[in-house]
Amino acid sequence: MNSRILTMTLVTGVFIVALMTLDAVATWPLPGSQQGYEPVQPIAYSHRLHAGELQLDCLYCHSGAETSRHAGIPSASVCMNCHKFVTASLGAVRAEDELAQQENRRPREVVSPELAKLYSALGLGDNREPGPGLKPKPVSWIKVHNLPDYAYFDHRAHVGAGVNCQTCHGPVETMERVRQAEDLSMGWCVNCHRAANQSGIAGRAVDASIDCSTCHY
Amino acid sequence: MAENSKNHWRSLPRERDNPAVVDAGARDEFPEPPPAGAVQLDRRGFLQAAGFALAGVAATGCQRAPVEKAIPYLVKPVEVTPGRAYHYASTCGACPAGCGLLVKNRDGRPIKLEGDPEHPLSRGGLCAAGQASILGLYDSRRLGAPLIAGREASWEEVDADVTASLDRIEAEGGAVRFLTASIHSPTELASIESFLGRFGDARHIMYEPLSSSAILDAHQRTHGVRILPRYRFDRAKVILGFDADFLGTWISPVEYTAAYRSVRNVDTESNGAESNDTRRAYHVQFESRLSITGGKADRRFRIAPGEAGAALTELASRLAEKARTSFEKGSAPGSSVPSDQLVSLAERLWSAKGQALVVCGAQDVRVQILCNFINHLLDSYGSTIELSPASNQRGDDDQALAELLEEIRDGKVDALFLAGVNPLLDLPLGTDFPEQLGRVPLAVSFAQRNDETSEACRFTCPVPHYLESWGDCEPVAGVVTLQQPCIQPFGNPRPLLESLAAWSGESQSGESKSSYDIVRATWQQRFSGAGEAGDFDAFWKRAIHDGSITVTAAPTASPSEAIIGFKSDAVRAVSAARPIPEGRYALSLYAKPAMLDGTHAYNAWLQELPDPITKIAWDNYVCLSSAAASDLDVHQGDVVSISSPEIKDAVIELPVVLQPGQHDRTAAIALGYGAKASERFAGLGPKWLEKRDTVGPNGRVGVSAARFLQVAGGTLQHSLTTVVIERTARKHLLATTQTHHTIALPEHLAPRGAERREVVEETTLAEQWQRLHSPHAAHQEHHGSLWKQDHEYTGHRWGMAIDLDACTGCSACVIACQVENNIPVVGKDEVSRRRDMHWIRIDRYYSGDDDDLEVAHQPMLCQHCENAPCETVCPVLATVHSEEGLNHQIYNRCVGTRYCANNCPYKVRRFNWFDYAHDDRLENLVLNPDVTVRSRGVMEKCSLCVQRIQEAKIEAKRSGVALTDGSIRTACEQSCPASAIHFGDMNDPGSRLAGLLENPRRYRVLEELNVAPAVNYLKIVRDGKPDKQGAPDHG
Repeated sequence: MNSRILTMTLVTGVFIVALMTLDAVATWPLPGSQQGYEPVQPIAYSHRLHAGELQLDCLYCHSGAETSRHAGIPSASVCMNCHKFVTASLGAVRAEDELAQQENRRPREVVSPELAKLYSALGLGDNREPGPGLKPKPVSWIKVHNLPDYAYFDHRAHVGAGVNCQTCHGPVETMERVRQAEDLSMGWCVNCHRAANQSGIAGRAVDASIDCSTCHY
Repeated sequence: MAENSKNHWRSLPRERDNPAVVDAGARDEFPEPPPAGAVQLDRRGFLQAAGFALAGVAATGCQRAPVEKAIPYLVKPVEVTPGRAYHYASTCGACPAGCGLLVKNRDGRPIKLEGDPEHPLSRGGLCAAGQASILGLYDSRRLGAPLIAGREASWEEVDADVTASLDRIEAEGGAVRFLTASIHSPTELASIESFLGRFGDARHIMYEPLSSSAILDAHQRTHGVRILPRYRFDRAKVILGFDADFLGTWISPVEYTAAYRSVRNVDTESNGAESNDTRRAYHVQFESRLSITGGKADRRFRIAPGEAGAALTELASRLAEKARTSFEKGSAPGSSVPSDQLVSLAERLWSAKGQALVVCGAQDVRVQILCNFINHLLDSYGSTIELSPASNQRGDDDQALAELLEEIRDGKVDALFLAGVNPLLDLPLGTDFPEQLGRVPLAVSFAQRNDETSEACRFTCPVPHYLESWGDCEPVAGVVTLQQPCIQPFGNPRPLLESLAAWSGESQSGESKSSYDIVRATWQQRFSGAGEAGDFDAFWKRAIHDGSITVTAAPTASPSEAIIGFKSDAVRAVSAARPIPEGRYALSLYAKPAMLDGTHAYNAWLQELPDPITKIAWDNYVCLSSAAASDLDVHQGDVVSISSPEIKDAVIELPVVLQPGQHDRTAAIALGYGAKASERFAGLGPKWLEKRDTVGPNGRVGVSAARFLQVAGGTLQHSLTTVVIERTARKHLLATTQTHHTIALPEHLAPRGAERREVVEETTLAEQWQRLHSPHAAHQEHHGSLWKQDHEYTGHRWGMAIDLDACTGCSACVIACQVENNIPVVGKDEVSRRRDMHWIRIDRYYSGDDDDLEVAHQPMLCQHCENAPCETVCPVLATVHSEEGLNHQIYNRCVGTRYCANNCPYKVRRFNWFDYAHDDRLENLVLNPDVTVRSRGVMEKCSLCVQRIQEAKIEAKRSGVALTDGSIRTACEQSCPASAIHFGDMNDPGSRLAGLLENPRRYRVLEELNVAPAVNYLKIVRDGKPDKQGAPDHG
């Protein structure tokens, strides 16, 4: 009797372990998958603030997405369109204003430490003017979405066809720091191409080729 | 096919004559034997291997991808979008021909050069040397700082030293000499002139190792001006060439090829005159060695190198008779060409009076004068030869060069400036010359690399690559093009213009003039001088954009006023050259289309390009005819020692190559080899146990034959020397591709009656004419198919047509493909092991005999078969068919079984046996970012430039404009000077390609296999050869 219970327990155990393993295998990332990659960037730029709260259009900064294979990272001069004047968060400026009122003095200019990095990259000193001895040095951002060297992705084709940025990049407008939301594997790409060929994108029929040379050449 | 099946053969000894002794390589489809027996693997071994593989897979799964940086501009220029390519108009600086360029810039750096279709001379083509010259830009061994006596110095030091010396020389009235290659930049010429202006005794001398000085001298004598005329092959109906390789190396090959093609194309209406006899230009070539020009000729005569004069004398006397002009033929012995041939040739020339063109490459003024005389009799001047506007592509003066060398020897030169020349490599100078050069008080070399000459000069001033600098060119008077920088210079070179400005004392104000200002000032002056209306800034901007300047006024120093009518008093008959002494051979020193004069010896792409005729890469050699070789009892690859009783101490050793179609008493050696610049190739190629070195025993690629040049009669002569050839006991490995990738069927595998496959097909002019005018023109073969038609091709269906009649074999396409598709250089050893990586190769076939040799060039690339044999054997589906008819090779899927290459009937697949070096980070900047760099163990092949197709398709979608025919041009097609290659959409009935598919000349290689290639060929058109029976017999 004991042995029977033992056998049944063992069989059940093996079954459960097998199920768990299968489950784990199914959700295992493919070798090389970088899904969930969320590197720390040299400047803590917040997409949540800019794209989410302030509702800046993605293409305002990533303007290459419409015309080039690379969406591109905006040059520092693009940041300066706003940040020539906006030097810190509204909260920080208000706090300084209140403090100044209490202390009965003129409010000082507040520069957020992250924006200070931007200004120093541009070689700007006080009042955002180029100062002597200040050398511009480009910002080395860390690439989040990397495809292998043998895969060629073209932003133009996708943006032109009406694919939302979020389809591939996930809800960037909610991310404080950008994270790779999808696994960007070939199967994931091909599935989307197949679906798009069948049901179109935003109601429009598209020709999303699944020829190898669509991406590999 | 059957109506004119010829026996085409590839190498000597010929397969037909003696199948048993043919180089084994020509027969074997696969170079290495298959492994003997199946691999034995026991259980333990299998488990070990499986475990190792599993561990390997697991280990790769664990690793994190490397962190990649993305560094944007700080302030992005408005006109630049990263990832988009921009084209800038410029001018090629690879040789003095001055072809138009569109420089493709990607992310701030030039990655590809394309011919400018709007250029009036080159018309969109670009030669192999031009294509490859971009590699020179990313050459990490270029000089970055000036050298004083071999030590790195600053420009201030150089300027101080040089100006001090110049001031002294000016005060003492010393002799200043400026030696350059042919320059036709108006600004540079003016700069040199004004720089030399302050000295009492100053001269600017130009020379070219591939000299054309005799042509200029002859025009001085016959027309009163020392100019090079502009040859208009596009106006000729009968073309006669004497040892002038005008399609390969002579003066301006790209321009001439385009023009030649325009009068040789049987499909254009203008060549479809009243009868088939006058349908297209008739071309006769007299030459001592086989050149690619000779290979295209309708009739070719083998003559000894010095015999052109005798043949021209014969012709001149016949033509003078017809023109009723007196010409003293004298009692000169006639040429070896039978006189009935010359009679009929003279007849033909005379009937094409006004549309005939005789060109001669001989460096003998008397012969050139005769050539001018014949052209004069034929009324060529003003029609096929233009004296105004004249060409500036050569300004060399060998008489002045000889005087200069004499002055240097005598120590009479106080200051010598050398720009763009390397006389120590390419002139016949004694071993004591470097020392004599060292004794010149002020010797300054302007060079990009530390070459033979720079080493002997005290000052070496690095000049930028032409893609880094401003300049202007005037290859033909009135045709002005600009050079603009497409990248910041690497290192700290200084353009010649700026150095001259700094040393002329003009920059005393402290502000140095930039070359941009200098070039712009020249044109501002001309603009206002010509009284042009409008704003100069607008004019200048447009000129930079277009790459060319159009000014209505004649060039400042036009020689056209000085041109006088033909002076016939200089014309004398030329007797046959002195007979070649018994036991000796006449030496013909020639240039190869890629290597030219050796300026590009640093260039690995050009070194690895097989010569269009001999198909040998990475070497020079002595070409002999089979008869000469059997006289000497030498075979291909035997090393012989070559010496000349006329030149003291000149002995070189070179391997022998048997060359069909060569004159039996001629030995031919290519110039431009044995350069110091080729020392860098020591150790090139993958490193493994059985590796053999790319460089020869002298540590360089090939051996320089410049010692055998002679300066005689005021010209630098290439074929005056006679040599003694003696065999040595040694053999030399020649990396020849002529027997690689053979399409021939091994005999034991061939079905009866199909031993010989017809790969190159030919037709005749008469037949072509007949077919064109008969109602049922196109001839199609249809075969039943085992496969069901499962490719629908509802959209595009890409295809290609290659006109074999247009192809000259110049190999520009091979280099264009190499640049575009990141094809690695593998080195001599790997080439000799059939591991060359070129995606497009040019198969060269001969037919006929030595005296009546016909040459066929067949560009062979992936045929993109409909029923592709490679696709069915790939176990991992790494090669598949696309919806648009392309055969894809997917590198990331390939596991390297090489089954596909074995099953490819055209042998166009290339395997990466190694990770070919990409260690040179500067050189890696030339890689095309749109094409994957393949790694070891991966098969690759022509993709029909799928990256260009994708780019054009996406761009068309984005802009909402349908793709137009001709908007996609493959790299090979773009570069072809003869426009032999046409890419297009076979589904588009209005496309050029669709038209070509209807052409009666169209055929597909190995049609009988029913693989249905998407690459089509157009048959070669041979002349009917009416007077063939009288073929001469040369001893």
